[in-house]
Amino acid sequence: MSRCSSFSASILLTVTLSVTAGASPFEAHIRPLLQKYCFDCHEGDQAEGGITLEAYREADAKTIDRAAWQKVLRQLEGRAMPPADAEQPTPDDLQSMISWLKSEALQPDCSQGERPGRVTIRRLNREEYNNTVCDLLHVSVRPADDFPSDDIGFGFDTIGDVLTLPPVLLERYIDAADAVARAAIASTDIDVASTYTLPGGVLSSNGDLDREFNVDSDGDYALRVSVWGDQAGSEPPLMTIAVDGKQKRKLKVPNERSAPEEHEIRIRLPTGKHTVRITFHNDFYDAKAEKKKDRNLHVGGVTIVGPIGVLPTELPESHIRFFTRPIPVDADIHDQTDIFTKLIRPLASRAFRRRATEDEIEGLSLVFFGARDRGETVERATQMALAAMLVSPSFVFRIEASPQPGTTRSLDDFEIASRLSYFLWSSMPDNDLFRAAVRGELRSPEQVVTQARRMLRDPKAVALARNFGGQWLGLRGLDEIDPDPELFPNFDTDLRSAIRQETEIFFEHVVREDRSILEFLDADYTFVNERLARHYEIAGITGDVFQKVSLDTRRRGGLLGHASILTVTSNPTRTSPVKRGKWILENLFAAPPPEPPANVPELADDKSGQLTGTLRQRMEQHRSDPACATCHKLMDPIGFGLENYDAIGAWRTSDGDTEIDASGELPDGRGFRGPSELRSVLAQRKDEFRRCFIEKMLTYGLGRGLEYYDACAVERIAAVSAAADDRISVVIAEIVTSPAFRQIESGGGKQ
Amino acid sequence: MTRLSRRTVLRGLGTGIALPLLEAMEPVTPHALAAGVSSKTKQPVRLAFLYVPNGIHMPSWTPPEEGAFTALPETLQPLESMRGDFSILTGLGQKKANANGDGPGDHARAMATFLTGAQAKKTDGADIQVGISVDQIAAASLGRKTRFPSLELGADLGKTSGSCDSGYSCVYSSTISWKSDTQPLPKENDPRLIFERLFENGRPGESAAARAKRDRFSRSILDFALENAKSVERSLGAADRRKLDEYLSSVREVEQRIGAASRKEHKAPHLVDKPDGIPETYQDHLQLLADLLVLAFQTDSTSVATLVFANEGSGRSYPFIDVPEGHHDLSHHGNDPAKHAKLAKINRFHIERLAHLLARLKSTPEGDSNLLDNSMIVYGGCIGDGNRHDHENLPILLAGHGGGALSPGRHVVYEPKTPLMNLFGSLLQAAGAKTEEYPQVSGRLERI
Repeated sequence: MSRCSSFSASILLTVTLSVTAGASPFEAHIRPLLQKYCFDCHEGDQAEGGITLEAYREADAKTIDRAAWQKVLRQLEGRAMPPADAEQPTPDDLQSMISWLKSEALQPDCSQGERPGRVTIRRLNREEYNNTVCDLLHVSVRPADDFPSDDIGFGFDTIGDVLTLPPVLLERYIDAADAVARAAIASTDIDVASTYTLPGGVLSSNGDLDREFNVDSDGDYALRVSVWGDQAGSEPPLMTIAVDGKQKRKLKVPNERSAPEEHEIRIRLPTGKHTVRITFHNDFYDAKAEKKKDRNLHVGGVTIVGPIGVLPTELPESHIRFFTRPIPVDADIHDQTDIFTKLIRPLASRAFRRRATEDEIEGLSLVFFGARDRGETVERATQMALAAMLVSPSFVFRIEASPQPGTTRSLDDFEIASRLSYFLWSSMPDNDLFRAAVRGELRSPEQVVTQARRMLRDPKAVALARNFGGQWLGLRGLDEIDPDPELFPNFDTDLRSAIRQETEIFFEHVVREDRSILEFLDADYTFVNERLARHYEIAGITGDVFQKVSLDTRRRGGLLGHASILTVTSNPTRTSPVKRGKWILENLFAAPPPEPPANVPELADDKSGQLTGTLRQRMEQHRSDPACATCHKLMDPIGFGLENYDAIGAWRTSDGDTEIDASGELPDGRGFRGPSELRSVLAQRKDEFRRCFIEKMLTYGLGRGLEYYDACAVERIAAVSAAADDRISVVIAEIVTSPAFRQIESGGGKQ
Repeated sequence: MTRLSRRTVLRGLGTGIALPLLEAMEPVTPHALAAGVSSKTKQPVRLAFLYVPNGIHMPSWTPPEEGAFTALPETLQPLESMRGDFSILTGLGQKKANANGDGPGDHARAMATFLTGAQAKKTDGADIQVGISVDQIAAASLGRKTRFPSLELGADLGKTSGSCDSGYSCVYSSTISWKSDTQPLPKENDPRLIFERLFENGRPGESAAARAKRDRFSRSILDFALENAKSVERSLGAADRRKLDEYLSSVREVEQRIGAASRKEHKAPHLVDKPDGIPETYQDHLQLLADLLVLAFQTDSTSVATLVFANEGSGRSYPFIDVPEGHHDLSHHGNDPAKHAKLAKINRFHIERLAHLLARLKSTPEGDSNLLDNSMIVYGGCIGDGNRHDHENLPILLAGHGGGALSPGRHVVYEPKTPLMNLFGSLLQAAGAKTEEYPQVSGRLERI
């Protein structure tokens, strides 16, 4: 160690000591207050809610204890703690604690700049897989629909740590790669030719079974007939197979049901309609026999395979794009492989979203070579190499090399391109973006923003609404919701889909028109089709197409009037003001209420027996228990304010015989009557909403949970956003240019 | 690399690939292997773990007396005709499902702990961790004899958005099978896909020759995948490596499957139709999953399986048995007798599905006994009374005869809080699985 650094270290030590000696504001003023009002419950092993305030050190407040102190702040600001039956802090004491938390403890220390954090390599999730193969090879198959569902972390399916790769998924990768490669490259092989199966039947007496089929092009076909017999008498069933009136095969069927046999006929067929006839010739029946009295012929099915040996007249787009020059089949296989190597290089680079390495090109060429060497056709060998490419880690994972331990590095152009495209499109980079990466044009923040803005205008940006919006706002959960059909007979498939679309289209609109994110809270418009308009009692809308409508804001406005959100936060038979309140606090204001203490039943029994009265009255009784009240007074009033919406989001003024009381008072004393006033009250919490939105989007875009140090990025982005009318493009631009998005730090060590 | 040297490489390796190396080993079938280790007539023991969420209404579940069954309690009555084939084990607990300082989240912990006996790490996504589950311990040693080391089935998939339980990642409340401390195994829920995986390898009507060709195709794909994995591994950090390791271990498992056995044996018994997809109704869905489980055992495709009737904390409603309310909501019954009755209805409905499964196993002959005789089926959940999130007095039903290792037909009452892991320890031992490396199953349970 040099003299200079040891010198500065000793100065640092002195400074630290002097602070301790002089007792910090925390030690001098705050800790005593916490001791007075909080430690009774929040001390030692049995601390309530697992919050052990006595153990917290000031030095950790900005880092590892940040989340805990945030909870404390929410409790104090919401007047939720200390509970009503405990000693209440004087207004001055309360103010001291709150301002210490706000101006000291929770002010992130951003003096060192923003830390980028570490993102675990991520396999593509299902949406991303489907989109990527579609953009890469222009195929319309969606193989990932058959993959196991992706696990979610922090509310999103983009989190590398949570996305696992079990054996069943690898099997599906192989099948998917095969299916995609077949769809992308046409082939002449029989085992990849298209098949069409006609139903079979039973022939229990002598006669014919006719099946008609069409072929789209002239060519060689294989007909596969699967048969077995009920054996009786002295001989097996005898059958003939004829195509278009000409007998092609005559054979005995000695096998039983347990082992059907397949017979194949190769035949040349012109385009058009054809008939295959299977005839049973030797029926036998012996009523006296104990067993084996009845001889029958069973046809399991007839499968038409082909055309064989010809490429279809209409080649897939990717086939044409791939074979920019032909691979001559009669050339030496090594020379063929040389051509293949040239053809595969650009495709592999696109697939791996960076320049493919020589090793990778070599390996793929080897797959081609090996297949040709075994006698596979050029096209089939190409399919195999493509499949190998699609199963490889370089394709299924988005890999960002880890920097040296303890260091940080900037992501390279290709890595930035992928981060952008998977964030905004849930897919791979397009030509423009890839070209920009090749040219090294994704280095400056301006270049990155230019690309991001272009991408947001692209139709593919709908992925942001569907995947980010769909998860942030819980829309995907709509598939799992089953409102009681007796109580809600109107809730049908059309409505389920319409309420989901409303919110997606709303989100898309905000992106496309570059609106303020605050419109999520208080927009005076929405999008409805005829079905949804009926649900919302909006007149004059016809047809399935969604149209923008102005709202009667006394009834609806912003996300809180969307039936999607109102439905996913309800129970099958009734609304749940608690769930609604909790959902809004968590997802719109990043202020989740504290978790319930263990073993507190919902709408609990107590010694007096059943709670009685309306839902609201019962909940109010529940809240008379101080242990419950602290949290419920944060959640319930918000939920009460939405009681004018039933469990599927329809407007109502009564629930059964009870008139709806949608009034309430938030813990800070602000009151409201009905959803419209609640909306106005909540819309004032724009700082919290903005921060919440940024946190959610950052989590989704980065693919990791946020750490304490990300508060610096969130605060900065929030400030920029507020100064720019909160336009969503500004939020996105700030996210994609932040160090967290453009750099990576090494793993290992304390996170 | 110059053109010349690359060609040399291609020439050298190309011929290697062309040789059907692995086919030479094909005559060694799983049956032959199994027969080699045990006596000719001895059938393998199968293990299945079935999970139901949100606790059980215990008064309608627990038989009133200890010992041989007298009258079965209401919830268990659908099992009347099989009263000699199962036992109720009372007093077992999973203490690691308790908060133990981690605060709320009992549903997530219940599911994660049920088969692992481990404390789930409270995290919403980064570094999920619990422990290897007993089915996977079994699969690690028994699974080598079958094509699939284990199957993970369930009616619900994992949640697709939002949060699940009090700061625990959703993966905990939707997964009971854990291949390692950190690798959850997702459930398969689509009967068509399960069937195809078991019996068709994804391609209906394929000839044997075409299938052999496809195996070669899969192998050459995997060769490239392994090589590629090696080259990317160098640049990765520790957490990244863990993900790549998952990939590699999956590749190895699939490779073994391709190499292990000839394809002829993988056909489904005839008369079994391939399912179309996920049935409309929950009843049919559960029934089909149970049928597939039986089929997988019957065809020796696997001898270890898990089947989750619904995710922990499930809000599923049961309108077809007049329970339109959400299950989880009801489970916090507040001692309301009406809610108790509805919970018991749900419990009984699930037991009817179990009865169907057990009956199917019993009616499937195997050697001179039947499949149920050679199985050990654990049915239950990691919550007793749902209102209290009780993890100490669990509803546990043990069915089957375990090839003679079990003596069913009784209500056995253990000391309160007897570790459930001891039951699993005994079952693993009876199945012949190696457990030395797994301290969480060191105990044994008597009187099963």
